[in-house]
Amino acid sequence: MTGDAANAIEARGLTKRYPSGVLAVEGLDLTIRQSEVYGFLGPNGAGKTTTMRMLAGLVKPTSGSAIVAAGRPGSPESLARLGAMIEAPAFWPYLSGRDNLRLLARYCRVPDSRVTPVLKEVELAERADRAVGTYSTGMKQRLGVAAALLKAPDLLILDEPTSGLDPQGMAEFRDLIRQLGQGHRTVLISSHLLGEVEQICTRVGVISKGRLVAEGTIDEIRGGAELTVRAQPADRARQLLEEAVGADRVGLLADGAMSVRVDLGRSGELGQLLVMNGVVVTELRAAGRSLESVFMELTGTEAGE
Amino acid sequence: MILAAFRAEWFKLSRRPAVWVTIGLLLALTLGIGYLVTYLVATHPPSARDAAELATLRPGLYPAALVSKALSNANTLDAIFALILGALAQGSEYGWGTVKTARMQLPGRLAILSGQLFAVTSLMLVATLLVFASGAAASCTIAVADGHSIAFASGLDILKGIGGEWLIFEFAAVFGFGLATVFRQSAMAIGLGLGYVLLVEALAFALLVRLGDAFKTAHELFPMANSQYLQNSFGQVGGIVGVVIAARSEPTATHAVVALALWIVGIAVLCAALDKQRDIL
Repeated sequence: MTGDAANAIEARGLTKRYPSGVLAVEGLDLTIRQSEVYGFLGPNGAGKTTTMRMLAGLVKPTSGSAIVAAGRPGSPESLARLGAMIEAPAFWPYLSGRDNLRLLARYCRVPDSRVTPVLKEVELAERADRAVGTYSTGMKQRLGVAAALLKAPDLLILDEPTSGLDPQGMAEFRDLIRQLGQGHRTVLISSHLLGEVEQICTRVGVISKGRLVAEGTIDEIRGGAELTVRAQPADRARQLLEEAVGADRVGLLADGAMSVRVDLGRSGELGQLLVMNGVVVTELRAAGRSLESVFMELTGTEAGE
Repeated sequence: MILAAFRAEWFKLSRRPAVWVTIGLLLALTLGIGYLVTYLVATHPPSARDAAELATLRPGLYPAALVSKALSNANTLDAIFALILGALAQGSEYGWGTVKTARMQLPGRLAILSGQLFAVTSLMLVATLLVFASGAAASCTIAVADGHSIAFASGLDILKGIGGEWLIFEFAAVFGFGLATVFRQSAMAIGLGLGYVLLVEALAFALLVRLGDAFKTAHELFPMANSQYLQNSFGQVGGIVGVVIAARSEPTATHAVVALALWIVGIAVLCAALDKQRDIL
């Protein structure tokens, strides 16, 4: 398959059946554009990690194909531009964090001078000279991200990076990932923690039982965002809103308020429109289904399961 | 790519304490049993009756016998430690999950495997040189203590000896490495490897040769037999550890070198095939 240069990942019909007979991923089509932070959502056992393993070249697909960072998964072209942390990061326990990165730098032909900056980037520089065997889970996760960043990759694949962290560690890690996703870098992050994905990702895909069951922005996944508007005079407000977004997108709620199906980014614009036309706005708020309820519907599970 | 992988693999092997503990133990046993205990027994015979017999051990401790003395343990003690080193070099990667970490780096699977094998080969050369250097130091010390001349074999003979020892080390290490690749762990690789090196091949063929000469010919293709032929080609010295083989016609050193080299290449190819087609979970 030939990939579109505007996409960091393009997978078509990706399927993995393990020798045990377990069908982990089935006919997965996935397109991740350059520079986006893409959240891969799904309950445990949905096929997220297997998909990431296939994209990183660790596991061979039973069928289907993929282009990852402009190369076949596992090829030198792809690996040169890919940084990945799949499941719990694994390191050589007798080496220090710094020496582990120096070792990986040799594999990748990256100069040793790159090690200290990435250790600083993940805030591990001060503890980098301790043996990895003595590291906490959070420190290992940070070192895992540092290892993934060593090649200054265009594409970063992170599989449940906050798994095993305490709440403070999770919050710090979210900030870190948000920083990493700024600029031209593409980030694919898997998680079953919906709040985490909601805060970090620009687009998400939901996988269940090995199949991609939904894909889009958070608002799109929630079935389109809704604004609840209460204003006086109500008729004038409804007329203005119908002109602005289309009559089919404005509905009347039982309590007299209006629901407007629209991109939430337009809420400020609509509020201003009403006010400038002499309408008194008493309520204007985002409403709609939570990501959690949509996730449960799509995957047939309890959220966070 | 292979050079980058070799540099990484050597970085990790050379900094691993277990590697140097294993080599240190090998040297301690080689010197302790091969030189110190032998010297003490030869110089302090338990009875006058044994004195003449034990005195024959002494020439084997002098520098002139360095090569045959160093190789006298090659197929037993040295092979055991080399097998352990080879199994650890690969098996631990599966145990720690670092196979996955390494395979996500730049070089690609085959290059990394090649780098691993070259690093193990280099380590075996270091171990061989240490065995020879420590043996040379011990033999010189004993010669000085006995007032005996310090005269080594020719440089060429020593080089051949180093080459022979290195090849036996290398086969055992690659065998351990291969078993660890097959079983994806160290423990089973070391257990089965030691069983084979010390017992299985010798025992199986000791019985099979009774069924006909074809089995004797077949045995000449097997690795431990060829390690023994290569070891024997450097002569034998009397000693506590030295294995005494009844004099008989056996394949040449060239046959042994070719056979061992083929076994090494065969195991490397098997490892590459497994590594290439396997999923890394």
